[in-house]
Amino acid sequence: MATELPSDVNSSEVLVDQTSSKWLPPGLALQKVDERIMTLNVGPQHPGSGHMRLIVQIDGDYIVACDPDPGYVHRGEEKMAEYRNYITNIPHLERPVIHDSCNVLYPYVLGVEELLGIEVPERAKYVRVIASELNRCIYIMYWLAIYGIFLGHSTMFMWPAGDRELLIDLMEKMTGARVTHAHFVPGGVRNDLPPNFEEVCLRQVAYFEKRIKEYAAIFYDNPILIARTRDTGVLSRQDAIRLGTTGSVLRASGVDYDLRQKEPYDVYEELDIHSNVMKEGDSYARSKIPWLDMMESCNIIRQALQKMPKSGSVRVKLKPNPKGKGLDTVYKRVESGRGSLGCYIVSDGKPEPYRVKLSVPSFRNLIALPYLLKGEKLGNMPSVYWSLNYWPVEADR
Amino acid sequence: MGTATGIIRALNSGIKHLAIKRFTLRYPEEKLKFVGDGYQFDPSTGVGIAGLKGRHLLFHDHCTGCQLCSIACEGVAEAIAMVKVPEEHKQNKKAIMPQIDYGKCVFCGLCVDACPFYALYMTNDYELSSFSKEGLIYTPAQLQVKPYVAQDSEIIITSRGATHG
Ligand code: SF4
Ligand code: SF4
Repeated sequence: MATELPSDVNSSEVLVDQTSSKWLPPGLALQKVDERIMTLNVGPQHPGSGHMRLIVQIDGDYIVACDPDPGYVHRGEEKMAEYRNYITNIPHLERPVIHDSCNVLYPYVLGVEELLGIEVPERAKYVRVIASELNRCIYIMYWLAIYGIFLGHSTMFMWPAGDRELLIDLMEKMTGARVTHAHFVPGGVRNDLPPNFEEVCLRQVAYFEKRIKEYAAIFYDNPILIARTRDTGVLSRQDAIRLGTTGSVLRASGVDYDLRQKEPYDVYEELDIHSNVMKEGDSYARSKIPWLDMMESCNIIRQALQKMPKSGSVRVKLKPNPKGKGLDTVYKRVESGRGSLGCYIVSDGKPEPYRVKLSVPSFRNLIALPYLLKGEKLGNMPSVYWSLNYWPVEADR
Repeated sequence: MGTATGIIRALNSGIKHLAIKRFTLRYPEEKLKFVGDGYQFDPSTGVGIAGLKGRHLLFHDHCTGCQLCSIACEGVAEAIAMVKVPEEHKQNKKAIMPQIDYGKCVFCGLCVDACPFYALYMTNDYELSSFSKEGLIYTPAQLQVKPYVAQDSEIIITSRGATHG
């Protein structure tokens, strides 16, 4: 980028500083001043959760253009993965979304299993499904808490943050850690369920489900919420597909695509899964789909606990430093709390992967943001932004 | 549903919470109950035993100084350093044992999975804060001590809601 100017910078809107003739990154280049338009920087100090910046141009109260500027929390996870072996990659690869750490690790683990040719015990598959569904709920509750506080609804911040504890407690019993569980490994899971887990799990999940149903009266059926989010940031069905959005954003626009149903992995095909779809495609629908997903997750957990083999191994023993068989590639994807999350692994027969690429839903959903915000009121920006189920740290990896 | 009814329903749902029990755990007066004595690993079956991944516990009479735990941690956090220990052990010719820096450790437990001699486990001890960085470095002698961890409350669900008790 040192000598050549990108085409959009050459356009009449941007004045290039002729004296230095240096290309400046977007946001820093000199702009022609328009008396009506004001540029507003939202962030980069933690506008929601994680650092990112929205460069918003407003005309009075209306947004003319929005330029999301991610990349503040880039950690180089993919590069780091090239220097660690298949097992020691686990703790750092679940860091992008610590609240959803099992789901973030899932595609990597599935991929490594295929590369190394490992057969996973049946019971381990069910334990994984339970762990990833619990994690999905934990993530969505955190997301919902932030969504509540974004809209100034502090009750909706406190309740999900408190009720999450029921499931975090289950994860703590199961994996030994409240977040960042490092529980999934190629070949199964790290440890078996503790004694009595099923009973405790059923009890707490049942109470959790009862609690989230109460959110309807205070939040989802609340006329104030509906007035603020209905018909804001409408994403049509065609646009949702064209922009490549995924997960709850895609399903809120009327496309029935849930990977647990369409491309089942592990034991999802043996479970009866209902995917939640809404037609509206507005912020309200996008915020309601994750909530409905949580109830579906509770159903899946109950089914999995019932169908799970009552005993058996949960982990196959691997050689130390397992290696792939020569040059090989694998791509696996799973439905995470935000949408389809893929992992592409290239092996060259060494104990370390040659390349690990994470294809994350947050980044794909963010692409829709500039289109959704054009013409919206500035006050609607937080609800549209957060309803995209976007997680800055995951998008930057 | 009309706007007024909706708002009344929302308010009503909040007011009901005046009557239900408090769910918040009052740490440090109350402390959570855990399953088991911490995460352990059985090298003969290759499967772990569920438990909290807290501070480590080192059995001096099992540790052979093989450094496998330290090698496992190299790819994670480089928290383990092998240091000389004064006492002699028959199985540990080099007289080196792991010393763990909790300023770096991420409590993943991969070192426990790596130990083939039942020498390194994890415990329920999670209160590790210290006023200095040096205080976070646990020598083999400190890792040997079995911690006492108070555990008195767990989640109880009744018809009037959930509480910690
Ligand atoms: S728990 Fe993980 S980070 Fe901590 S010492 Fe062991 S391997 Fe290293
Ligand atoms: S704790 Fe275990 S792995 Fe570490 S040096 Fe001792 S015997 Fe080896």
